[in-house]
Amino acid sequence: MKKIKNSNKKPVTIGGIVLQIVLLIIAFIQIYPFIWLLLFSFKSNGEIFGSNVVGFPNKLLWENYQQALTNGRVGIYFINSALVTVVTIMISSVVAAMASYGIVRMKWKLSGVTLIFFLMGLMIPIHAALLPLFMFFSKLKQLNSYWSLIFPYVGFAIPMAIYIFSGFLRDIPKEMEESALLDGCSIYNSFFRIILPLIKPAIATVSIFTFLSSWNELMFAVTFISKWQYRTLTVGIQQMVGQYTTSWGPIGAGLVIATIPTLLIYCLLSNQVQKSLISGAVKG
Amino acid sequence: MKRFALRVMTAALSVAIATSLAACGSNSAGSNSPDTSAAGSTTTETSAKPSETKSATVRVWTLWTDPTKDSNAAYFYKVLESAKTELANITIEHDATENESYKTKLKTAVAANEAPDVFYSWGAGFTKPFVDAGKVLPLDEYIASSGAGDKILPGATDFFKFDNKTYGIPYSKWVAVLYCNKDLFDQNGVKIPATYDELLTAVKAFRAKNITPITVGGKDRWPAMFFQNALALRTAGAQACVDALNKTASYDQPAFVESAAKLKELVDAKAFNDGCLGLTNDESAVPFTEGQIPMYYMGNWFVGNIMGKDSKVADKVQAVAFPMVNDGKGTSDEFFGGSIEGFCVSANAADKDAACKTAGYLSETMAKLTADDGGLATWKVDGVDESKINALAKQIKDLTANAKSYVLAWDTFLEGADAETHKNLVAEIYAGKKTPEEFAKEMQKLNEKK
Amino acid sequence: MERVLSNKKAICFFILPALIIFIAIIIFPIFMSGYYSTLQWDGIGKSKFIGIDNYITLFTNHEDGFIESIKNSVILAFLSVFIQLPISLVLALVLSNKVRGENFYRSVYFIPVIVSTVVIGQLWMKIYHPGYGLLNTFLRNIGLDSLAKEWIGSTDTALGAVFVPVVWQYIGYHMLLMYAAIKSISSDIMEAAKIDGASSVQTAFRITIPLIKPILEVCVTFAVIGSLKTFDLIYVLTGGGPVHATEVPSTLMFNTIFHKYQYGYGSSMAIFIIGECLLLTVVIQKLFRMKKA
Repeated sequence: MKKIKNSNKKPVTIGGIVLQIVLLIIAFIQIYPFIWLLLFSFKSNGEIFGSNVVGFPNKLLWENYQQALTNGRVGIYFINSALVTVVTIMISSVVAAMASYGIVRMKWKLSGVTLIFFLMGLMIPIHAALLPLFMFFSKLKQLNSYWSLIFPYVGFAIPMAIYIFSGFLRDIPKEMEESALLDGCSIYNSFFRIILPLIKPAIATVSIFTFLSSWNELMFAVTFISKWQYRTLTVGIQQMVGQYTTSWGPIGAGLVIATIPTLLIYCLLSNQVQKSLISGAVKG
Repeated sequence: MKRFALRVMTAALSVAIATSLAACGSNSAGSNSPDTSAAGSTTTETSAKPSETKSATVRVWTLWTDPTKDSNAAYFYKVLESAKTELANITIEHDATENESYKTKLKTAVAANEAPDVFYSWGAGFTKPFVDAGKVLPLDEYIASSGAGDKILPGATDFFKFDNKTYGIPYSKWVAVLYCNKDLFDQNGVKIPATYDELLTAVKAFRAKNITPITVGGKDRWPAMFFQNALALRTAGAQACVDALNKTASYDQPAFVESAAKLKELVDAKAFNDGCLGLTNDESAVPFTEGQIPMYYMGNWFVGNIMGKDSKVADKVQAVAFPMVNDGKGTSDEFFGGSIEGFCVSANAADKDAACKTAGYLSETMAKLTADDGGLATWKVDGVDESKINALAKQIKDLTANAKSYVLAWDTFLEGADAETHKNLVAEIYAGKKTPEEFAKEMQKLNEKK
Repeated sequence: MERVLSNKKAICFFILPALIIFIAIIIFPIFMSGYYSTLQWDGIGKSKFIGIDNYITLFTNHEDGFIESIKNSVILAFLSVFIQLPISLVLALVLSNKVRGENFYRSVYFIPVIVSTVVIGQLWMKIYHPGYGLLNTFLRNIGLDSLAKEWIGSTDTALGAVFVPVVWQYIGYHMLLMYAAIKSISSDIMEAAKIDGASSVQTAFRITIPLIKPILEVCVTFAVIGSLKTFDLIYVLTGGGPVHATEVPSTLMFNTIFHKYQYGYGSSMAIFIIGECLLLTVVIQKLFRMKKA
């Protein structure tokens, strides 16, 4: 196969067409379940359970969405999830960036050991902490609070964040910072004014990883939260499904509501998301 | 990347050391064990709280997530409304979780001293560990002083009595019946079964016509368990069931083996819906109310759904007792059910008087609504307008009018782990993984355990 | 300069917040779990110290299905490594090779990763519904009635049925990691290979794959550890049932603690899962190192 150097497009060949078809089929497999979900979220039980399982809805039943949002409280769950996730991302990014800086740039004997200590956390499943944390939060009367989710999520996000940040920091030349320090800039200023802006791409990467893990987390959310006011989407959806077992329409609508915003953010930022993941994965 | 790999390996080693050290650390952790400190916090908390009923807030947990879920849920939301005016000075803060997760949530909350002031509970095995751990308030004093004692039917609180103290107030009695869709039976020329043999005939007749005979939600496991329990009631009789559950008789006797064997026979005859072990009870009810599956064995609380607006079978259902087994020891006046659902008050309730009052009010008013609808109340209810009771509820009421004894669902009678084991064993019969003999033997292991 | 960078106060300022949270949330609870695992304790009443009895029960009691659950998680790990990762790798190789619509495909393949696992679980529950599900409807419509199964409702098919969405969801994730690694390979090397007349397949096997070995190691580690830890999808789809058929250690642990109220016994499962994860991480690294040598 001959190729024109530096061109972005290959000439159209039979192989190319076959490849495109295969890729399209895979793309179809990856998103068809969501299309089906979108369709049945507009259907009545009669259609879903018999007359029209796969086709387009006869009539768009927006009531399903209304029900999911009001009776199903999906709106509230969504806000809770967003709140918990955003706070988790903020705390874990700052705290982990600071720790990484302290480990990579500061000079002290135990820095290497500390890094290993943190990275150990990468291999530890959250299960081990479930029961002790449950007892812990219940003693502090902190079950049914946003903090009972935020702290564990931050804790379990820290190892990955430190892993990414420390890799990044090591590649940042020391000169800028050193000259600043020599000019009498304090170490705190040097971190917040010079380093933090420099590691923005790493912060994006960390945020995405943290978002994925805390947005989807179920085990802690199901155990620590029993009041609906604090339920996050994962548990809220489970709850709503229990409530509407007999009518799939509102369930589908709830699932769509839970999914659409993340999908939108992803569509708008997908290049940024992927760029971050790329830089995050190759470093370190 | 290489550096990372190395680090992780070292890290792994240090964790290995750390975990092996965990055993040594157990002493210091032991002095801090949760039960001792929990007990401490209990006493301080209760003594610190004032006992006047100045607009108290009472937290109530139930499993009724939605008024449309079933009739009990509908009653409860009505009671919540009426409580606003009738329970002056008490604000009820209600939180609901659906059935299976409710059990989990409540147990964990009670364990962690996070229990709500008043909670819906099942008597017998479910409440017993709470009582043993001293987490539930005895209500005898309240019952005597409030005059509730005269209004609660005799024997109604039996399943909430432990060591001669009453720990909960039930509002209704439930009974399981076999709901049959008359239309489907008539159209296909099948006789509504009164005996096990007729049931088997009906199953085969429906299958021959390509109709699924019985719907059951095995993912929740208890609906599947109902069939074995009901069969045992027929093959062994109520007394034998209660004796075995009380660990005074063996499960490993022919009557119980036969209950499992009959269930297996039904499974093999394809009596149940396809994939029933993957469906929840709620899911499994849909084809019944949609009029697609003719038989459903469920508690009388399901009447509300059958009569509900989403149901297509409202006037087509006949409720019958579970079919009798030829030469079984069970009699037709024995029923599967009992007065098991009630309200308990947490020993840690912030305002105990208000909590007791709330529990009593919820129970009595729910009982009244239950009776008004033709349900089986556990309180004396006067002035029920018989004409307003729907036909199906009346059928069930008549059916159980001369009931002599009730046997509880086994999973509510047994405690925690035993109940789980029992439900799993029944599920294994459905899955064809256990023979009836193995089932009986392994059930007996539960009795021999302690 | 040196003094500034070894200022104890500054070091504490930077390290302590993360360290405290990390210890409180991860390290301390592990010790507590370790301690709980030596108890016979129902969480409500009194606890009793029983040493390593819980661990012995894990492997001697066949009724609880712990050994089965390990077997299931190992099968899942196996499927992840030998089915999921190869698919991801092929997609990454193809997409990084300047294919038309590269960005579009990459974005679409990644979508399942960002959707909440609970949504995916609920969705697949509907797909597998024996009566009205997408899968059985599809099979019946194309005349393959005999293939319509009970899926998650039967002990025979449940395990396979549950694993499909687990594997499916993360194909895009691994693909992206590998894609990133491939893209970071210097284009000179690729160009050189092309000039030497190497075919795409040859380039992939001789150059690309060896060069992205570090990321492959990360992917394999993540896939294996992820399989051992998997919880959400299985919890939503089957809760470990029917009859333990889809039980993995984490669902069994959850059920043991929160349904059976055996806090000590459940904690011993938690500790076992940690040990298993760490052990396999080391094994995977050993394997990759062996190949390098």
